Amino acid sequence: MKSVLHRGPVAKLGDLSETRYWVYLLLFPSLILLLLVVAYPTLYGFVISVREMRLTRPALNGWVGARHYIAMMSDRVFWISLKNTAIWVTAAIAIEVTLGFIAAVALNRNVPGTKLFGVLILLPYFLPNVVAGHMWALLLDPRLGVINDLLVRIGVLSTYKAWFADPATALAATILVEAWHGFPFFALLFLAGLKGIPEDLYKAAAVDGAGPVRQFRLITVPMLRTVITAAVILRVISLVNSPDLLLVLTGGGPGNATQVLSLYAFQTAYREFNFGYAGALSVVMFVILMVFASLYIRFTQVTKE
Amino acid sequence: MIMFKTSRGRRLMADILTYIVLFTMTIFCLGPIVWMFLTSLKNEADIVTSQMQYIPRSITFQNYRAIWTQSNFPVLITNSFVVTAITVAICVATGTLAAYAFSRLSFRGRDRLMLSYLLVRMFPAVMVIIPLFVMMRTVGLVDSRFGLALAYTSFLLPLFVWMLKGFFDAAPKELESAARVDGSTRLGAMGRIILPLARNGLVASSVFIAIAAWNEFIFALMLTTGQGSRTWPVGLQLMVGEFQLPWGVLAAGGILSILPVVVLFAIVQRTMVQGLTAGAVKG
Amino acid sequence: MQITKREFLVATAALALASGVRSASAATAISYWHHFASQSEVAGLMKIIELFGKSHPDITVTQESIPNSEYMAKVSSAVVAGGRPDTGMVIAERFADLTAMGALTDISERVNGWKEKANLPENRWTGMSQDGAIYAVPAYAFVDWMYYRKDYFEEAGLSGPPKTFEEFVTACQKLTDPAKGRYAFGMRGGAGAFKYVIDVMEAFGSPIVKDGQAAIDKSAAVEAITFYSSLFLKDKVVPPSAPNDSYRQIMEGFRTGQTAMVWHHTGSLIEISAALKPGVQFATAPMPAGPKAHIARVAYAGNGIMKDDNIDAAWDWISFWGEKDAAIALLEATGYFPASTAALDDERIKSNPIYQAASQTLDFGRLPNSFVGAAGWSENVVNPSFQSVLTGQLTSEQAVDRMIEGLETALR
Repeated sequence: MKSVLHRGPVAKLGDLSETRYWVYLLLFPSLILLLLVVAYPTLYGFVISVREMRLTRPALNGWVGARHYIAMMSDRVFWISLKNTAIWVTAAIAIEVTLGFIAAVALNRNVPGTKLFGVLILLPYFLPNVVAGHMWALLLDPRLGVINDLLVRIGVLSTYKAWFADPATALAATILVEAWHGFPFFALLFLAGLKGIPEDLYKAAAVDGAGPVRQFRLITVPMLRTVITAAVILRVISLVNSPDLLLVLTGGGPGNATQVLSLYAFQTAYREFNFGYAGALSVVMFVILMVFASLYIRFTQVTKE
Repeated sequence: MIMFKTSRGRRLMADILTYIVLFTMTIFCLGPIVWMFLTSLKNEADIVTSQMQYIPRSITFQNYRAIWTQSNFPVLITNSFVVTAITVAICVATGTLAAYAFSRLSFRGRDRLMLSYLLVRMFPAVMVIIPLFVMMRTVGLVDSRFGLALAYTSFLLPLFVWMLKGFFDAAPKELESAARVDGSTRLGAMGRIILPLARNGLVASSVFIAIAAWNEFIFALMLTTGQGSRTWPVGLQLMVGEFQLPWGVLAAGGILSILPVVVLFAIVQRTMVQGLTAGAVKG
Repeated sequence: MQITKREFLVATAALALASGVRSASAATAISYWHHFASQSEVAGLMKIIELFGKSHPDITVTQESIPNSEYMAKVSSAVVAGGRPDTGMVIAERFADLTAMGALTDISERVNGWKEKANLPENRWTGMSQDGAIYAVPAYAFVDWMYYRKDYFEEAGLSGPPKTFEEFVTACQKLTDPAKGRYAFGMRGGAGAFKYVIDVMEAFGSPIVKDGQAAIDKSAAVEAITFYSSLFLKDKVVPPSAPNDSYRQIMEGFRTGQTAMVWHHTGSLIEISAALKPGVQFATAPMPAGPKAHIARVAYAGNGIMKDDNIDAAWDWISFWGEKDAAIALLEATGYFPASTAALDDERIKSNPIYQAASQTLDFGRLPNSFVGAAGWSENVVNPSFQSVLTGQLTSEQAVDRMIEGLETALR
């Protein structure tokens, strides 16, 4: 055994790993990073939400307590945004999960050519939001849109339709674009999950007389539970918090038909320069997400091993 | 319907169904991208026209040329590349350790800590930008690729940790104990046994992070300048001016955006799916 | 004379330092933020930088292009968190917000002592001044006008472009033919719609803001909104996509021949000329007059100083834009109308019949409404309210109520 004096750094680290502080050492780098980069901005956001901070009216700045939150209750646009956010997120997630699942199941059968199909099906996720948004704006354009042209040719429409100009279809059209862009995320994760389920389980169930539907319900879904939960939470957070796609496609119109909370906060901050109110909106979004996440996790009982 | 009776018949039906699904999905996914590609080869006059052109009457590469020269394309792509690489490096270095701890070690407050990692993602980017900007100015990291990578890490690290934890979970818990019985330290067990097993999962998670960093727009817009570390998505958005939206050029930009990602993905695809499969057994 | 090694080193260092100092004071570097993005705009800007470099060799300008829709976001962030540029582009609609947040430096003294000031009459400066102090130097102007399809007009037997709203409606009805996919007027109902909504309201006699108070005349405004929206709702002389049509869509509609008339300003001339033949397929005319007022905006745009560190160099740069050479360079590249009267006398403007409409408009044109919160009110209240009228969710009266309510909130 080498004398203690001659042990190299790796060995020393190895010694360190035997101590009770090993866990904290492992967590330390990421924790520090997150605290440094995220904690201050988040606190700042909370603080701003109880202050008035309107860039163009410096005289009004200062502590205002819960005024923004009270004003929010009677803000018509806030409630519309809230409703639209709920619809948008729920519909998008539902479609993305369904499509992702179907894709995963199909890819999992590993028929010849799966590798190629796999890459092609995952392509939409690789595009930046900016590009995807403009591209679909062109596809659905009321004058230049090829989808309109195709629909007219096959007789579904009589003239080009202005999908984003009609409040009845605007939200649905944006949901379609978002679903197209986001479902590969689920497809990939589900595929991985599916591949991890041992074939024997299915064979055993088949021997017991379970048909494909029961197999699905009793084997597939439970095994995928953690994957589904994590993926859904991550995606919901992402959808609630980022206005990129809607900013490009509709800007919240027509007439607030596609206004969502994230876009509303963005416009309040950078068009009205009312950072206090935008901060309050952000805090509300944060709380909503937190409540959703805890409820959802509890509901699916995922953290129980 | 004899088909359904025999298991071979059933399998054939299932295969046919699979192919139908795959083809339909491919058209759904690929269609718009193919259209984007065709658009990138058209003259502006052939795009903004009342007569829809499916196959371009004349093909031109001027859109690609315009991107290359006008938007400072090589610099932007390099910046994107560097920022993405740094982000992935930081995430891997710090996140792997954390994911390992969450997965293989049990300690008090583990679940709550894991959830709190998720919590930091929940605050909208809108409000985070300004204080982040102030912070970066104080340490002189504004408009630097490292600074932007740090900003990206802040919201990508939790994603990375959660994903990677799942892959670590797949390796049987007995492996470490076996290694330690053989005289290895915990560090040794981690390095020699677990990491190699989770290597594919590592690759998979890194690819997700890389794609997210590559495509990010808002932080890049606010935290960089054109002379410094401006990245590719900002350059693309710049083409959408107040008075023009050059469809052809934008489409060319879109195609150029996904090329590196596709190449990267094709390279790692095999390991990625393998890695993901190892990851999800226990969830 | 023998010099020791140390003396030699010291001397060298001193020399290096001295020459370094000299070259540092010889070249000042200033930064410039703008939102010019199209090929023509960038070409114009580069030409101006080049000309500036020749006349001011000791100043280097570093320009930074920012996407127009995010320009104010970046400027406001810079004001809050630091990182201001030396100089920045200022357009009339943003002026009030920029001064209110303290983004621009007062340059009244320098302007009053400037020799080129004589070429820029009073009305140029009004939009760039606040409480008597001047904050930006106007460089170019966007003059509202109307594009119309000369060939369609001839086809329909119309003698010329409409001069009043009444003539406008008649022309619209004659020019619309849904069977041919043709609509008379490309109404802007998407982003930026508020501009024309406000213009029509004023044309019907309703002011917007007076002495810092909301001054909308409800009955006139309702009349205006009803008139303007019936073009879409009742007369159907407007493409069905209007509620989401912003700049790009109305231009595409005009370029592809879907519409016969479109309201915009001189900034889009180059784009239209690239697709249609001037004088043959399209021509320009001043905006039609409303029943109570003839409204057309002349919006001056220019540059201001945002940071005082290099104020002399910054002043040289922004004042250079007002000089004739710079103005003509910009005109040639982009077609943007110069603010300087010296440049307006140039042959390129006088001899071109297309510019006639703009020159005429300069006589009666008004400045856009400028008050703190104008941008926010326009985009977040006027726009959605008008869109809701177009989609039938609100009546004109309800929309006007919302606009008045929003205006009062914004001005509080």
